[in-house]
Amino acid sequence: MKPAPFEYHRPTTVEEAVDLLGRHGYDAKLLAGGQSLIPTMNFRLAQPAVLIDLNRVEELDFLREEEGGIRMGAMTRQRAAERSGLVGRGAPLLAETLPWVAHPQIRNRGTIGGSIAHADPAAEIPAVMLALDARFTLRSSGGTRAVPAEEFFTGLFGTSLEPEEILTEIEIPRPAPGSGWAFAEVSRRHGDYALAGVAAAVVLDGSGRCSGARITLLSVGEGPALATEAAGVLVGTEPSEDVVRAAAEAVGRGIDPPADIHATAEYRRHLAEVLTRRVLPRALERARASAGA
Amino acid sequence: MIVEGEYTFSGPRDVVWELLQDPEVLSKAMPGAARLALVGDGAYEGSIRVGVGPVTAAEWKLAVTLQDRDPPAHYVMQVDSKGPIGFTRGSASVDLAETDGGCTLMRYRADLQVGGKVAGIGQRLIDQVAKMMTHRGLDALSNELRARLAEEA
Repeated sequence: MKPAPFEYHRPTTVEEAVDLLGRHGYDAKLLAGGQSLIPTMNFRLAQPAVLIDLNRVEELDFLREEEGGIRMGAMTRQRAAERSGLVGRGAPLLAETLPWVAHPQIRNRGTIGGSIAHADPAAEIPAVMLALDARFTLRSSGGTRAVPAEEFFTGLFGTSLEPEEILTEIEIPRPAPGSGWAFAEVSRRHGDYALAGVAAAVVLDGSGRCSGARITLLSVGEGPALATEAAGVLVGTEPSEDVVRAAAEAVGRGIDPPADIHATAEYRRHLAEVLTRRVLPRALERARASAGA
Repeated sequence: MIVEGEYTFSGPRDVVWELLQDPEVLSKAMPGAARLALVGDGAYEGSIRVGVGPVTAAEWKLAVTLQDRDPPAHYVMQVDSKGPIGFTRGSASVDLAETDGGCTLMRYRADLQVGGKVAGIGQRLIDQVAKMMTHRGLDALSNELRARLAEEA
């Protein structure tokens, strides 16, 4: 269980990292928390020729509040975000979800940006970023661009990151008044890969009418999935139990889940529907409290 | 593992049949710079490079044999492949039916065994990878069909 030989670089600035990546591109892998990459290398499934370690790039490890919401560096440890009051206030859906990510030991090392860039279809953080309508800053030696989560995730472990680009920052917009959120997943044991999971962010106006909804799913497709049809069922209504049930059915219709030794496709679809029926009432309850309706 | 589904090609059945027997077309439809050569009646050999996400792309040797051929409606494909991190073997049954408007409906059902390191570690992803490769391959075949029909027209 030792990795194949590789060349090791440990830059201390983003500029240096970007420069290294520009030189090695396809042959290089970026090391963030290493909670997925290192096991994959030790099994020799991944054999990158060059490893660029981002753990000494201090400018990538920050968390701050801005006018529009929260901004964090990609190397923010998952545990740091989980325990941050700033995240608790500014991105409560993320705070609620992080305890579901693997185990505390893994979250101590694992980073928010690493999980996003890895884009594992069973990972919680990409699905939550999609629900929160987050934006990612990608940087290369050619410049910087901002990509919304919706365009960033492109399929099985697929992202719009170019080989010479680094994910540097994550922006999460401040929740609108009347926002509610909730997350739930089912796994065999706590910390295992989820069989299915659902994140929801909803907005109610002063009269209790739903003016926005983002429902996202994990472990039921090639990547984190936005349930647009289900959101359409909610928006414009005063969400009753029947509306929630209709939205859950729309979630089930909109997915083509994988089958493996842990769960059949049908069981995953069933879980996605049940979890939607659990998550939405909780999100709506919080939204009502926040809207004062 | 069972991979099954349907796919509609917008072209006549005999042209689709021909495409499915053509090693050059098939290698274009497979991911990762595939090579495939006809080595006997209905027997093909070659290699593909496959890598998903963090897994470094590796070369898999591939042997395909077509059996029970009933042109242009049905065949069974025996697949045997070996790579540095595992193997797959099994068979896929393919049926082609003519539909309205000169289209061809393909029904496929593959029963594949996946073994080795890739099955031990990547179990939860195998189904998803198989689905993705099937969809991409069929889309590529469909594009090839369109190009060929346009050429003839």
